[in-house]
Amino acid sequence: MVVLELLLQGFYTALDPLNLAWLLGGSLLGTVLGMLPGLGPSTGMALLLPAVLSLRPDTGLIAMAAIYYGAMFGGSRSSILLNIPGDRAAVASCLDGYPMALNGQAEAALAISAIASFIGGLIAAGTFVLVALPVARFSLRFGPPESFCLMVFALAATAAVSREVFLRGMISVLLGLMLATVGLDFQTGIPRFTFGSAALQLGIHFAVVIIGIYGISEILVNLEKVDQDLPKPAQVHIGRIRISLAQWKRSIGPIFRQSPIGILVGVFPGTGGLAAALTAYDNEKTRSRHPEEFGKGAIEGLAAPEAANNACSVGAMIPMMTLGVPGSGTATVMLGALLMMGLEPGPALFGQHPAVAWGVIASLFLGHIVCLVINLPLAGLLVKGLYMPQKVLYPFILALAFIGVYSINFSLADCWLLAGVGFAGYLMKKFRVPTAPFILASVLGASMESSFRQSLVLSDGSLGIFFRSAISNVLLIAAFLSLARPFLSDWRTRKKQGKSIDVPIE
Amino acid sequence: MRPNALVGFTAVFIGVAYGTMASGLRGHPSGNQPVSLFPIGLGFLMAVLGLFQLVLEARKGRLNLEGTPPVVLPASSLRPVLGTAGFCLFYVLALERLGFILSTAVFLGGLLFLVNGPRAWKTNAVLTLLFSLGAWALFTKVFHLYLP
Repeated sequence: MVVLELLLQGFYTALDPLNLAWLLGGSLLGTVLGMLPGLGPSTGMALLLPAVLSLRPDTGLIAMAAIYYGAMFGGSRSSILLNIPGDRAAVASCLDGYPMALNGQAEAALAISAIASFIGGLIAAGTFVLVALPVARFSLRFGPPESFCLMVFALAATAAVSREVFLRGMISVLLGLMLATVGLDFQTGIPRFTFGSAALQLGIHFAVVIIGIYGISEILVNLEKVDQDLPKPAQVHIGRIRISLAQWKRSIGPIFRQSPIGILVGVFPGTGGLAAALTAYDNEKTRSRHPEEFGKGAIEGLAAPEAANNACSVGAMIPMMTLGVPGSGTATVMLGALLMMGLEPGPALFGQHPAVAWGVIASLFLGHIVCLVINLPLAGLLVKGLYMPQKVLYPFILALAFIGVYSINFSLADCWLLAGVGFAGYLMKKFRVPTAPFILASVLGASMESSFRQSLVLSDGSLGIFFRSAISNVLLIAAFLSLARPFLSDWRTRKKQGKSIDVPIE
Repeated sequence: MRPNALVGFTAVFIGVAYGTMASGLRGHPSGNQPVSLFPIGLGFLMAVLGLFQLVLEARKGRLNLEGTPPVVLPASSLRPVLGTAGFCLFYVLALERLGFILSTAVFLGGLLFLVNGPRAWKTNAVLTLLFSLGAWALFTKVFHLYLP
């Protein structure tokens, strides 16, 4: 009953005219950003970060969440029509979405992707309602050592995405943590790594890092292929967006089966929408009686990943708001916004600012309805956005990035740092050093060091404090398993291949 | 040098430099605030990971194993990327000297001419003017924020 009352209070907050306006704007912006190849929700949210400071916390977070799930809706538009995913999470939607469009079923593909995203998102929002309070209350048991171990786990899971980038992922984490130590020491006031610069004494704001990576380096990478033309769409004339009863019956099972998978993947740090969508696609293909139809326009092959990636986007917000550990790179930007507004995730957020926490949760339900309306009846109109000349868009994004960063502290030093981080991020991308761990580490760095030092003060300098409680031990084991995961999964793949590969006879 | 080896070398350099600076940090007079312990740990770990990367690359090279593909920047993309970098540096240098409207107009106009091409000069010019004046009006008149 308490949860229902809080949810009702949340709906009251979300239905505030200002919040509703930002919800609409965020959903539309997210859908358009998701549609455009090369630009994702992270870029949109990063550019919105400075503006968030001038908004009420509930309004800012509702807008950011809307951009996030809006992009999940929009990402499949270009996957279906152009065979180019609008967002990483929409990669799996190319596999059967594009063949459907080639078969003259673009309308059905667009319809089922929107419906599956809607249901997947609603299931995840319902799950959020059920688990929010218990998880937030559980986190009350976290003292400084447990908080430190939780952050170690989140960073380990984000860094160890694959065996190929394992070391570079870890290096990226350390770079982010190093960046977070620049400035006046938060407990003693001693300047650290400032090179005598007064501007650096304030530290490097993580908003600068987020905008530098998502606003500048992302654009520099996209500029490399700015002269490449987009392919012609598989179907030019889009009719009424709808699906038949038979197609609905084939899709409903995959949607309900794969949404929980999406939530689970989303909750786990370092995975994200791509992993959720590919896992869902693979699951459905494995259990299908007609796996040969997958890749040739099977509607299940589109419904499953679409439901999963939306469920994942909402799932990624659950640990972000209840524990302060984001489940994805985009949720990291939201965490950054939360911290910039002076809010502390976890029990403090739900206890002291219930209107904000439950307003965001309630907005997930409303936002998914808005996105369904945008993506079903207005799909034909939206698809025209695919032809938007991106080369015109990039300069504006760069200008907005600089103006936004300047407006945080009205400091030119922040603009220099932005340019520096942007070009460093570009080099990182060129050298295949993952940037998501770098951003997460720069956001969590200050709290992580603070927890580390508080723990040492509590234990009189003994590192043994990190192994004393069951929660810390479980989290450290989870961190170790996360680091071992890419090696274990490689070993399993090789073992499987070893069994099935025939030795060629020359 | 192989790209991964360069990453390893950079990591070792950063780790050693950062660790050395961290070890020179003064502690708090009360003695119970280890200001340098966390950074020293970071520097040490960075150097170790960089060394690991170097050793792995050296081993790959010795065994003639395929490394990470070389970092490629096609000649056609050099112009937009380097040009954009140049305009960004100009913008930071000029923002407070020339003022918001003028510096934004030069920055945005230059970028649009570079990326969108000189043929679309009318579109570029109109968009530049609209954005420079519109953004200035929005920030100063609506948000009441100071812009140089």
